[in-house]
Amino acid sequence: MISESVLVELQNILGREDVLTAREILKTYSYDGTSQWTHEPDAVVFPRTAEQVSAIMKLANAHRIPVTPRGGGTNVSGGSIPVLGGIVLCTTKMDKILNIDRENFTATVECGVVLMNFNTRLAAEGLFFPPDPQSFLAATIGGIVAENAGGPAGVKYGVTKQYLLGLEVVLPTGEIIQLGGRTVKNVVGYDLTMLFCSSEGTLGIITKAEFKVNAIPPAKKTILAIYDDVAVAGENVSLVLKSGVTPAKIELLDNWLIHRIEEASPLGLPGEADAVLIFEVDGMAEAVEKEADKIIEIARMNGAREVRPARDQDEANRFWMARRAGFAMIFGRAPTVLAEDVTVPRGQIPALIRKCRELSRKYDLEIVVMGHAGDGNLHPSVLTDIKDREHFARAEKAVEGIIEAALELGGVLSGEHGIGLEKQRFFRRALGPTVTDLMKNIKSLVDPNNIMNPGKIWD
Amino acid sequence: MEDLNELKKIEQYVDQCMKCGFCTFFCPIYQEELVESSAARGKIFLTKQVLKGGQQLSDQAMDIIGKCLLCKACAVNCPAKTQVDRVIVGARAEQVRQQGLPLVKRLIFRHVMANRRLFGWTVKLASKLQWMIPGKQGKMKHLPDFLKALGQGRNIPAISSVLLRDQVQEVNPPWDSKAPRMRVGYFMGCATDFIFPETGLKTIEFLTRHGIEVVVPKAQSCCGTAIYFSGDLETGRMLAYRNMEAFKDLDYVVTTCATCSSSLKDYKVYLPENDKQRKEFEDFSKKIKDVTEFLVDVLDIPPQEFHLRKEFQGKTITWHDPCHLVRYQNIRNQPRRILQALQGSTYVEMPNADRCCGMGGSFSIYHYDLTKKIADRKVESVKATSADIVVTACPGCMINLADHLQRAEMPQQVRHLMDLFE
Repeated sequence: MISESVLVELQNILGREDVLTAREILKTYSYDGTSQWTHEPDAVVFPRTAEQVSAIMKLANAHRIPVTPRGGGTNVSGGSIPVLGGIVLCTTKMDKILNIDRENFTATVECGVVLMNFNTRLAAEGLFFPPDPQSFLAATIGGIVAENAGGPAGVKYGVTKQYLLGLEVVLPTGEIIQLGGRTVKNVVGYDLTMLFCSSEGTLGIITKAEFKVNAIPPAKKTILAIYDDVAVAGENVSLVLKSGVTPAKIELLDNWLIHRIEEASPLGLPGEADAVLIFEVDGMAEAVEKEADKIIEIARMNGAREVRPARDQDEANRFWMARRAGFAMIFGRAPTVLAEDVTVPRGQIPALIRKCRELSRKYDLEIVVMGHAGDGNLHPSVLTDIKDREHFARAEKAVEGIIEAALELGGVLSGEHGIGLEKQRFFRRALGPTVTDLMKNIKSLVDPNNIMNPGKIWD
Repeated sequence: MEDLNELKKIEQYVDQCMKCGFCTFFCPIYQEELVESSAARGKIFLTKQVLKGGQQLSDQAMDIIGKCLLCKACAVNCPAKTQVDRVIVGARAEQVRQQGLPLVKRLIFRHVMANRRLFGWTVKLASKLQWMIPGKQGKMKHLPDFLKALGQGRNIPAISSVLLRDQVQEVNPPWDSKAPRMRVGYFMGCATDFIFPETGLKTIEFLTRHGIEVVVPKAQSCCGTAIYFSGDLETGRMLAYRNMEAFKDLDYVVTTCATCSSSLKDYKVYLPENDKQRKEFEDFSKKIKDVTEFLVDVLDIPPQEFHLRKEFQGKTITWHDPCHLVRYQNIRNQPRRILQALQGSTYVEMPNADRCCGMGGSFSIYHYDLTKKIADRKVESVKATSADIVVTACPGCMINLADHLQRAEMPQQVRHLMDLFE
């Protein structure tokens, strides 16, 4: 619990309106996008400046109060749930886009800016921020950096860290520091900017970010390919990449999702199809045409049952809507969904999918597979119900099997969701004791009193 | 634990939410407040806690759950298709079930609004007292204190000196006295009856000129939206049956109020207690047409038959989509088809034309500060078009738009689509 006097001090820093303590409101800050955990904070605060964040951190540090940063609350690994109570520091009111530099292809934004709003403003200048976490309608910049977010565009454009040039961070002890800069090249001591990228809110509050942004490519094209065997789809992905074409996106949907899409907003996909790949190529118009033709040719020559280039942007949008609705369809079908985020070297995708199917049979569970086939980042989702202990135990076993398989195939625990609460139990196994301890030592150096998003990443 | 009857009925919609948070992007209230409890995800989570027994349906909880415009922007954009509107209405209904209606609402809903005569009389009385408060420039006047208390200094339009119901025949044959091509009921709705009777007269004239017999049953009541959306489903059902009785044996029921047309169509969504009622409400809904869809989809009137009134010649026109038209009824293209084809005026699309104006019925009484902020964004959209006239098809929007355009000292007139025609 937070004492009355600390609450008064918080109100002095922020004003009464930006310190919330009503029970009912605290409940609405007890969750994120996951379905397994909830925990209420003791207060929610809404700073508007880095100086206010600094004052809050100094106060919390002096009183050893846990502080959990939160933006749009869209993360899917439990990272913004205040598992030890204390303060939720909500960044939604730090939502200014400070600068867009068309000449230098950079942008400066506050941490609470929603990605969609950022991209809308960039688009007016002919620019875009390529990493595309599918939560872009609500995800905020602070979380996007702290989780090193990515999405379908990862195959060509990479993830957030490839666009991050500099940061302003408030340390758990209250100091405001500036890291990195505004240049693409920058080798001045340790790259601490990257330390905060994927720190999951455990090292400080990111208040401002400087990004590299790209010019919007003049043309793009979408191609949908249907396969009777998911392994053939996987091979098609490598054949396309080997041909020299790097699509902006290559997304995979499995048979279960094909059925759900046909129920919800039909695209005329055959029910017996095993997998669908959706490709998007972008760039100069002539190159886009050629690259699209190459993908169509490769798919037709190498076992695709059917290849459908989108006739126009409307049809392309429908294909992508179906992909985007994927998670909603999965979450709509089960009280609890364990949405995995393992990533394997691209060539191992068919092997990982086979493993998921094996586990689905072994534990008698529904495991839906979709994800970013182009970069090896898959989201096998196990449908279960946390209230059904026996079923949930089997689901957790299946998740363990998926993760073991991914690690054996040379992959990693998480591609873009982060560890949060969700993958803690696998963390030490994945990284080994030496690396884990090194990370913990860094954590205690930066956050000596362990107040910054405690209880995350490791137990 | 309470038995939570009304809440249990909407539990399936509560369970649809998968907490992705996309609703925050579309929620006009969240966009002003940037606080989780403003958005559907927060409200639904809290409702879920009530259902699970970890939270009372306290006044504090209802202040959060109930603070909703019911604009449905979240619901139509929800990837999981969560029917947020049903959750909100269900929670309000549960509150009414547990606590009864607050005294003021009980008086207004059950006795004044449900009794069309008494409602008319009350409104008329208010109109007689208008002289007590000096009028501002133009058409708007402040109403006397007892109504002003509801309005908190808003620019409320004058109540018509003669109500629509007192100006029309019950049966209006086609102008050419030929056999009517169809018999259509005109549902006037409270705001058209009391505040915008000329829209009703225009509509009746327009339809009779197109060979339609227009029936305006004296026995029609309030559509009930304000009442059952506040959780008083019982009075809502009573009104539904009254209106169904009043509009029997007609080919269609047409209304010029987007809220009324969606309400009459949606009795089947919010009100049925059993399958028999659902069937009756469904049958009734099939006859209901908003005037915008009636002109385009049913009558299929060619563009050259819409004649712009002289006073609007040469003007630039823009369109505001009422929530109850664009999201509740998916009517988006029909009014645009008419406006874009109108000879003598220029049509300009405003940015975010389908964003809620902030009215939300009684929402604007309880949360006028928020209404102002949300309406200001609409005013900005209007400004971006440099239009002379803002056209819409919902008296609620018209009242609100006029209020805030006037507050921003903008010159635009606000008109109903049907007011434009000769």
